Amino acid sequence: MAKHVPTANGTEMTGATSLVKSLEAAGVDVMFGLPGGAILPAYDPIFDSTIRHILVRHEQGAGHAATGYAQVTGRAGVCIATSGPGATNLVTPLMDAAMDSVPLVAITGQVPSAAIGTDAFQEADIRGITMPFTKHNYLVTDPAEIPGVIAEAFHIATTGRPGPVLVDVAKDALQKMTTFNWPTSIKLAGYNPKTTPDAQAITDAAALIAQSSKPVFYVGGGVIKANASAELRQLVELLGAPVVTTLMARGAFPDSHPLHMGMPGMHGTVAAVTALQKADLLITLGARFDDRVTGKLSTFAPNAKILHADIDPAEIGKNRHADVAVVGDVRETISALIPALKAALAKSKPDLSTWLRQMNSLKATYPLGYDLPDDGSLSPQHVIERIGKISGTDTIFTSGVGQHQMWASQFISYEHPRTWLNSGGAGTMGYGVPAAMGAKVGAPNATVWAIDGDGCFQMTNQELVTCALNNIPIKVAIINNESLGMVRQWQTLFYEGRYSNTSLESKRVPNFPMLAESMGCVGLSCERPEDLDKTIEKAMSINDQPVVVDFRVHRDAMVWPMVAAGTSNDEIMIARATAPDWDSQEL
Amino acid sequence: MTTNRRQHTLEVLVENEPGVLARVAGLFSRRAFNIETLNVGPTEDSSISKMIIGVAVEGHSLEQVIAQLDKLVSVISIKDVTAKAKEVHDTQPDYQN
Ligand SMILES: Cc1ncc(C[n+]2csc(CCOP(=O)(O)OP(=O)(O)O)c2C)c(N)n1
Ligand SMILES: [Mg+2]
Repeated sequence: MAKHVPTANGTEMTGATSLVKSLEAAGVDVMFGLPGGAILPAYDPIFDSTIRHILVRHEQGAGHAATGYAQVTGRAGVCIATSGPGATNLVTPLMDAAMDSVPLVAITGQVPSAAIGTDAFQEADIRGITMPFTKHNYLVTDPAEIPGVIAEAFHIATTGRPGPVLVDVAKDALQKMTTFNWPTSIKLAGYNPKTTPDAQAITDAAALIAQSSKPVFYVGGGVIKANASAELRQLVELLGAPVVTTLMARGAFPDSHPLHMGMPGMHGTVAAVTALQKADLLITLGARFDDRVTGKLSTFAPNAKILHADIDPAEIGKNRHADVAVVGDVRETISALIPALKAALAKSKPDLSTWLRQMNSLKATYPLGYDLPDDGSLSPQHVIERIGKISGTDTIFTSGVGQHQMWASQFISYEHPRTWLNSGGAGTMGYGVPAAMGAKVGAPNATVWAIDGDGCFQMTNQELVTCALNNIPIKVAIINNESLGMVRQWQTLFYEGRYSNTSLESKRVPNFPMLAESMGCVGLSCERPEDLDKTIEKAMSINDQPVVVDFRVHRDAMVWPMVAAGTSNDEIMIARATAPDWDSQEL
Repeated sequence: MTTNRRQHTLEVLVENEPGVLARVAGLFSRRAFNIETLNVGPTEDSSISKMIIGVAVEGHSLEQVIAQLDKLVSVISIKDVTAKAKEVHDTQPDYQN
C-alpha cells in the first residue's frame, strides 16, 4: 500500500480531493468510469489528477475494463460510478471479479448521508447489494475516513486471494472539508491472509507426491494470480508428471510442453479429463474443484488422493476432501515444495513411465479437432485457430462466453501467463470487448484480440466508441454464427433440436462492419475460407484504430469433447453419441 | 463431510460496525448453512461485538462454516463453544484469508 507518504499529508481539502489524492497515493494510474450527481464532487479533482480517467459508455464496461487491466497487469483495476443505476451497472463485473478472484476496487457515489434510507433520487443500497460478491465493502459518510478506507480497500483487494472491494461514498462526505492523512500502516484485526505455508504441510505434500505412481498437476488460475509459472515449470519437470490447466489457468504452463495434457472439464481434452479420472494423486495448485471441472462430484477422480494448495483456507475441503492441505501463496508453496520434493525423491523415486505412456497415448489418439463444413463455408474453429497462429503467442486474447470462448481456449496455443482473459466462474456474456479495452490499456504494446460471439458482442460493443476515442486500438473477431450458439448446442443435444429463442435470425442484422465503422473503428468481414488469412493479416496491419472483423461462420459447429452437465467425467463424448474407444487404451 | 445434523455453538467476535449483522446472516443464508439461533451483544471493548451463533451442521462440515465466516473481514475471531467440544479458532492464520 503506502508507496510513499504523499506530500498532501496534513493539508485541508474536500473529501472529494482527499479521495483522488488517496487513489494517487495507492498508486492508481488509470481508472474507468462515468459520472453522475452523487459522485460529481469527485470528478472535479479528477479533472486535475495525474490519474488517467477513461470515460466509458456504460458502467458495466468500466467494471470489465478494470478487470481486464487487472488480469493483465496483476495490479488492482479501478472503476468509478455514480449512485443508484450507475452503481447497479457495476454489479455484474463485481460478481464476475469475485468468481475469478480479480483484484478490483470500485468507487461509487451515494446520496447524501441525511437522505440515506429515504428512497432518495438514485439511492440504492449498493453495499447491501454487493455483500455476497465483494471481498469487503464500505459505506463512507465521514470524510476523515476516506484515506484509511481507500488504503484498506487496495490492501484487501490485492492481498490473500484477490477480489473486488467496493467503496461507497456519500455525497456530503465528498463535499465537506477534511484534513488529508494517508495511513502509514494498515491494521485489520479480522484480516491476516496466510501466505507462507507450514513447513510440516510441505513435508507431507512432498512425501505424498513421492509415493504416488499416477500423479497429475491440476493447475488453476491461482498460479497465474501468484505469478508462479516459472516455479510451476520447475516443479513439473522435477517430477515429470502430466499437467492440466483449467479454463482460468490457460497460459500458466506452456501448451507446447510435452507434459501438458490440455484443459480439463466440460469441454476439456480426453487426455486431461482422463488424467484426472485415473490419477492416484491430484497435485492441486490454486484450483477449486469447480463443477465445470469435476463433472458429477461423486465420480470425480475416484482413486485419487488430494493434495490441495490454495491461499484461501475456505477452498480446502469445500467440494472435495483434501488428504494434505497447504494453505499459502502458491508461489511460496511451489518454491518450498521443490527442495522438499527433491529430498523425498532422493529417498524413493516412483516410476511414472507407464502412467506417462498411457497419457501420451490418449493425447496422441484424441487430439482436439474439428470437421470443416461440407458446404465450404467458414469453420469457426478454423477462424480462431488461424487468428492464434497469425497473431502469435505474445498476443493477449479475451473472449465472450459461449462456443467461441471454448474454441478460443482450445484452438489457440497459450505459452505465457496473462495472455488468456475470460469470464470463467461467472460466464458473463459481454466480458470480451471491455476486458480487451482494459487489457490494452494495461499492456499498450501488446496486440489484443477479443474473440467474441455475435450474441456477446451485442451486449457491450458500445465500449468500442471508448476505444476509438481514447486511442485504444483493440481487435475484435466476431464469430458470427447467427446464434446463441452454446445454448443452441444444448438444445441440439438435450432438447431434440427445439431451438427456442436461440436464433439471432441473421448474419446481416446488425451489419457488424457498419456498426463498427459508426463507432470509429475499421469494419471488415470475411465469409470464405480462401479470404481468411488475408483478412486476419489486414486486421493485424491496422494499429491506429480498433478493428472489428465479422467472421460469418457455419452455424451448426459444436464444441467437443463434452461432458454433459451433471454427468460423470467418465462419460466424456468426443462427438455426438461417440465415446472414446476405451478398449483400445491400456488404462 | 458429515451428513448428520449436529448443533454447534460458535462465539464470534466481530467489528461493531453498521451492516455487520447483515454480513454474517447473509453469509449463512447464501451458503445454505443453517442458523438455529443468533444473539448479538456488546463486549468490554466498544469497537467489538460478540455474536453467539447456533448452527446445525448438515451437509457442510463445521470447518467449512468456520472458514467461510473467517473470510469476512469484519469477523475477528471464532470459537467453538459447544458443550464438550471446546475447539478454539482464533485469528490463527489457518482460517484467515
Ligand atoms: C449475461 C448472460 N446471459 C446469458 C448467458 C447464457 N449463455 C451462455 S453462452 C450463450 C450464447 C452466447 O452467444 P454468442 O455470443 O453468439 O456465442 P456462441 O455460443 O454463439 O459462440 C448464452 C446466451 C450468459 N452466459 N450470460
Ligand atoms: Mg453466436
